[in-house]
Amino acid sequence: MSDAKSAIMDQIRQQAALSNARALIEKVNEHCFERCVPKPGSSLSSSETTCYTHCMEKYMAAWNTVSRTYLQHAQQGVAAAGGAQGVMGSI
Amino acid sequence: MDSISPEVAEGLKNLSPRDKQELNTFVTQENQKAQIQATIHSLTDLCFRKCITSKISAGQLDRSEQPCVQNCVDRYMDANMVVIRHLEQMRTMQ
Repeated sequence: MSDAKSAIMDQIRQQAALSNARALIEKVNEHCFERCVPKPGSSLSSSETTCYTHCMEKYMAAWNTVSRTYLQHAQQGVAAAGGAQGVMGSI
Repeated sequence: MDSISPEVAEGLKNLSPRDKQELNTFVTQENQKAQIQATIHSLTDLCFRKCITSKISAGQLDRSEQPCVQNCVDRYMDANMVVIRHLEQMRTMQ
């Protein structure tokens, strides 16, 4: 019987991961296109491509830093409220 | 969004109370996680705009960008607190 339960859990996990990845890609594109391709030409130049790669890595580094810093706050908030900290560890 | 397959939907009807409870908790937790992730996305958006202002020439955050991003999040949380405290004050004034 718990087959249906784990199937639905897997589906939820997959969709969560997918929408998280989609949000990240969307933001990376938004920022990096703005920064790296100020005047779109007939094709992406090699310097634009290099800029894009750096920009992606930079954005993800920023994401990781924000994530770490924000989770510290969130955890402190949760600890102060005396609630369950279990959720935070699994992100 | 993918839809639920008929077999799974059928199986969901026959879940034990315990499984239902477990599923409920799981969904609540996933929801919380999704909300936290959404906040992280919007904070990254905001802080990238504020802190990464010079020409992008390397893949890592440089010496000034790294602390800027950290401060950006910390000050955002402080500012958030100011709003909450002020609203609280307004509420008790009435």
